[in-house]
Amino acid sequence: MSDHASHKGDGPEVYFQYEDIDQQQESYVVGMWSFLATEVMFFGALFLIYTLYRWKFHDTFFGAHEQLNWKMGGVNTAVLLLSSVFVAFAVHFAQMGKMKIVNLFLAGTLLCAGGFLVIKTFEYGAKFDHHLFPNHSFSYADPEHHESKSFWDEKLPSVLQMEKHEQEGDPKNARLFFSIYFTMTGLHGLHVVIGIIAISSLMILIKIKSSLITDYVPVELVGLYWHFVDLVWIFLYPLFYLIPR
Amino acid sequence: MSSTIIEQGTVEKPHSEKNYLNADHTLKSWLLTVDHKRIGILYLISVTFFFFIGAIAAAMIRYELTSPKGILLSSEVYNKTFSAHGIYMVFQFLVVAIPAVLGNFLIPIMIGARDMAFPRLNLLSWYMFITGGALISLSFILGGVDAGWTFYVPLSTLSENQISLCLVGIFITGFSSIFTAVNFVATIHKMRAPGMTWYRLPLFIWSHYATAIVVLLGTPVVAITLFLVVVERGFGFGIFSPELGGDPVLFQHLFWFYSHPAVYIMILPAFGIISEVITCFSRRPIFGYRFIAYSSLAIAFLGFAVWGHHMFISSQSAFQGIVFSIITWVLAIPSAIKMFNWATTMYKGSVHFSTPMLYALGFMGLFLIGGLTGLHLASIDTDIHVTGTYFIVAHFHYVMVGGTILGYLGGIHFWFPKMFGRTYSEFWGRLSAMIVFVGFNLTFFPQFMVGYLGMPRRYHYYYFAPEWQIYHILSTAGSSVLGLGFLMPGIYLTYAIFKGKKAGANPWGAKGLEWEKCASPPVTENFSEPVIVTGSIYDYNPEEDSKLYENEDDSMLSGRGGL
Amino acid sequence: MAEHGHDHSEHTKGGAHLHHVLPQRMIFMVAGALFALMVLTIWAAFWFPVESLKENTFFMQVLALTIAVVKASLVIYYYMGVKFGTRLIKIFAYGGFVWFFTLFIMMIDYTTRPMEPVPGWEKQSSSALPRDTVENPE
Repeated sequence: MSDHASHKGDGPEVYFQYEDIDQQQESYVVGMWSFLATEVMFFGALFLIYTLYRWKFHDTFFGAHEQLNWKMGGVNTAVLLLSSVFVAFAVHFAQMGKMKIVNLFLAGTLLCAGGFLVIKTFEYGAKFDHHLFPNHSFSYADPEHHESKSFWDEKLPSVLQMEKHEQEGDPKNARLFFSIYFTMTGLHGLHVVIGIIAISSLMILIKIKSSLITDYVPVELVGLYWHFVDLVWIFLYPLFYLIPR
Repeated sequence: MSSTIIEQGTVEKPHSEKNYLNADHTLKSWLLTVDHKRIGILYLISVTFFFFIGAIAAAMIRYELTSPKGILLSSEVYNKTFSAHGIYMVFQFLVVAIPAVLGNFLIPIMIGARDMAFPRLNLLSWYMFITGGALISLSFILGGVDAGWTFYVPLSTLSENQISLCLVGIFITGFSSIFTAVNFVATIHKMRAPGMTWYRLPLFIWSHYATAIVVLLGTPVVAITLFLVVVERGFGFGIFSPELGGDPVLFQHLFWFYSHPAVYIMILPAFGIISEVITCFSRRPIFGYRFIAYSSLAIAFLGFAVWGHHMFISSQSAFQGIVFSIITWVLAIPSAIKMFNWATTMYKGSVHFSTPMLYALGFMGLFLIGGLTGLHLASIDTDIHVTGTYFIVAHFHYVMVGGTILGYLGGIHFWFPKMFGRTYSEFWGRLSAMIVFVGFNLTFFPQFMVGYLGMPRRYHYYYFAPEWQIYHILSTAGSSVLGLGFLMPGIYLTYAIFKGKKAGANPWGAKGLEWEKCASPPVTENFSEPVIVTGSIYDYNPEEDSKLYENEDDSMLSGRGGL
Repeated sequence: MAEHGHDHSEHTKGGAHLHHVLPQRMIFMVAGALFALMVLTIWAAFWFPVESLKENTFFMQVLALTIAVVKASLVIYYYMGVKFGTRLIKIFAYGGFVWFFTLFIMMIDYTTRPMEPVPGWEKQSSSALPRDTVENPE
């Protein structure tokens, strides 16, 4: 009986069900893309809901979106793009076999991801304080809550601070906007957290030279996931923060 | 493989050496297995368990409906009962059964691989399936869900029950099926043996490939939709609330976007089984191999464009309704192609009425009725009359029970000797197949009639029309026969696993890698030698093959196998 | 194991065939393009020079989405390995994104509802009552 999994230390380990390393590597990548297709459909339904409601309530959506801080969103976009670049380098060096450098770049990615979450915290915190979280405490275009202050706004450097906008539009539809906003960005943030866990686990496994990592494929797969997370944000940013009038 | 007869001696006799079942006896070796065959067995045990729960719920429903007023259950509890029946049967049994039990077991063997592409992911799938089922069960223990398996808003967002917990369970089960589908797709693309080209694959594989594609592209949509309901319940977001300008029908759109393809997830694997069983027991190559293969893919893709036929009266626009109606009619064509091809396969064949064949023939009859009544429902005007009535209930039970479950049972009976290395009693097998067929018709045919007369579905009582009682009593009587028919295989197959006469490698005289190159039960690596495929696997020959195996001790066709 | 027809000696220690590796220069260039496009997106949203087009919601949205699609394509093609991937990988990569558009069949419903002669979803005062019994139907 042929047994392919016996060449430890001789290069990447080929699991017993595979004939050679190429088949194994391609299978893993195909499997990951299949999973990413499911993620596309997962977020895709939310993009559809967004499209529908934005088409119906465009004016209110425009008005409500002015409450979002596009500068912070922009910084988040840049941070996430940078993290993608770091991951691309990590994959590159994994393919070259230089695993220590891989960990360096993965650490950079983690830093960027952490930064993303910090900025997100500032954004969300401000929203809560301004009664824009779409639960029972939601209050829009209400003169009583108009001047509410937020610790999260004040701590920002002035270059990132937003000019104040009047809250325009129908409060009910604005709550719909914020429901979709929080659902989509919240789900995206959840995926960022999952990505952080995946990248950290990968870094640990690489550091301890675990037997699970024998070639570049785990790094590539995590990289694919992370690039997908970046892709979602590439679309989320203009659709929420840069709505044209 | 060439078309010559396989001598009995070319595959080693089993039981003289290790196979996947006796490779290790510890519980840990089963619960931490990555062997796709063992995982298939684990799924078998778990889906049977969930089927049993769903069946008890069904029995309660049928008992309750024998009287125009309530007997046993309050209305609230009745709602929870049919919800439980639907949720367990759909999410925990029908979507999962054939792919996860037979698909997991057979796909690597049929393509000549040693295991799936991602064995550990396979095991994770099973654990997620169990977790999802446990959470759903917990939600029912804690009070249950009364919004049906369809969870329409606003009932599901406003109802005071354990909906969130149940939805989380369904979400996890959904991801379990996604991981299984990822495995199938990667395995079928990349792990075929040398010489196993796409057009030499068994049709079982084509069906499962189509099923896996549907799972990948559809399940995430229902996952997010159910997630949104949880979010709406938990946080008070209002994506489906009319008060905020949202549209409750949007939930229905998103829900049925998956749930219609879901019914194709349930039926396509059964189609695959029928293709295999009919060719084997007619001793003829399948008629129109490529047509059946392509029609599986056509059903998979077209099936995504017809979901609105569940929503003709939901206030979606009539234009949209017309579009969905037309595409639904078109979708009948690939299924019809398959039926014609199977029937033609049997023509001038040498037909053996073994247990799997009886199930397959029952499938063809019942799926025909179910499918034709589906056309009643595809046309908007008749649908408006019968929608929300027992006509619909009867229709989908004909295709799901008469279709999927008969296919599943036929598949289990067909591959049972391969999976367990034992034969079962053909007498009991054939008897229970016929009891299932008779009981099924007794149960569900009256439902067509009472539905047409107007009996609404999901109603706890019908005291306003006591003349319908006779139909319900007939239906309940039939359901006891059906229940007996389902119970019997549970008994004699379980007996056969432990005490059945040992099976040879190919007791049915079938063609295919799993029969010709693999022992019964298979060794853990599936094949003792590398497999190279040189020809079509459906090269049956009615004249020669019918004489094969009939007098062999190991054959099940002589009716002497088993107990 | 060396019977598979290719020379294993040219494998790097990570096991990759060298032609799979995305060169560093390409990573930098794509990164530069991505950042430039991001700046372009923000600039276009606020400071687009042609005033008449800036007022045109449809144009601005198409512009923003086009830039986003270009960025996404760069990420998918270069960073996600599709450029150097096999044909199978390309099919899977593009397939998922193409399939996303089937969800938009739902929009046929919402765009054609106003065509119906019953009070629809358009205005607030929709009601299940027949049209002329609703006060001030809009």
